[in-house]
Amino acid sequence: MKVKLVAHTSGVEALVATSMLTTTSGSLPSAIHGRLMGSPEEVAEVVGRLEVQHGNVLEHNRLVWVIDATSDEVLEAMLDTKFLHLTRLGDDKWLMSGNLRAVVEYAQSKDSAFTRELTDSVRDVAPTVYRSVRRGRT
Amino acid sequence: MKAKLLAYTPLSSLTGCRGELTLRELLPHMGYTFAVEKISRACSHQLVRHRLASFSQQSQRYITARRFSERFVTPPSVEAAGEPVFLELVEKASEAYQRLVDRGVPKEDARFVLPNAAETSLLMTMDGRSLFHFFGLRCCNRAQWEMRALADAMLGEARAAEPEVFDDAGPYCYQLGYCPEGRFTCGRMQEAVEKYRA
Repeated sequence: MKVKLVAHTSGVEALVATSMLTTTSGSLPSAIHGRLMGSPEEVAEVVGRLEVQHGNVLEHNRLVWVIDATSDEVLEAMLDTKFLHLTRLGDDKWLMSGNLRAVVEYAQSKDSAFTRELTDSVRDVAPTVYRSVRRGRT
Repeated sequence: MKAKLLAYTPLSSLTGCRGELTLRELLPHMGYTFAVEKISRACSHQLVRHRLASFSQQSQRYITARRFSERFVTPPSVEAAGEPVFLELVEKASEAYQRLVDRGVPKEDARFVLPNAAETSLLMTMDGRSLFHFFGLRCCNRAQWEMRALADAMLGEARAAEPEVFDDAGPYCYQLGYCPEGRFTCGRMQEAVEKYRA
């Protein structure tokens, strides 16, 4: 299976941090988000505390991949997790989407070439979460 | 009340890889994250019934409802009635909450005295297909006033960001060309269609 991330919500980790602070700070989410978009250091610091939070803070984003895979491989992925949405583009080519929580939980539940590729695909858009997953923390 | 679209997956980012897929087929792959602010808890209870969505709401366990009596939502019908009992109850609930917190009752328990009028803010994320369904139900004249105002505000944000995607969104009568509400129809379909015509 080949996995290529082709689109994503902008500022994925800023949204994760906004979600975390919205539930606990009392500030308005748009104000939190506006502040965080200009402060990558604060985003990394907040997201670095993720282990004590509910996983649902990872859901405020959408990641879209094009994958090369056989029907059997896609069926296996769909049986493994119900939180990835797949549409056939052509022979052995699929559009797949989901959120960061789906990626993290899939990677935690199964170690395979596909989940490793999926995890690697979010390295640039969610670097703090990526490092946590690689360390096996989140 | 305020709704702001914070982030989304732009249609343009999928242009090169969508193949023969139509916009409708792409919608489940597109995500939209809104800041929804200063709505009542009565409204947020309706919002979370849309299960194909993600929510992060201000927690009454962690956030003290200080000045609750300054942070609540009054329905227009209550204002129009000119009946003071609503404000009296809000003041009493606010005093009771503060007294319980001052006596050492945890916030998670003191909040039991707060009414549905309590103001709240949250982050909400939906995929495009679910958002169309949300607009279909909640922009409808039969939706409750606060929910409808919120849905209209969100639709305005979505159309401003992605007109090509959301010009066809609105109440179901606008989307479908007929009213699916049956005997509950408001009977004002043409008026609604005019309102939402982009």
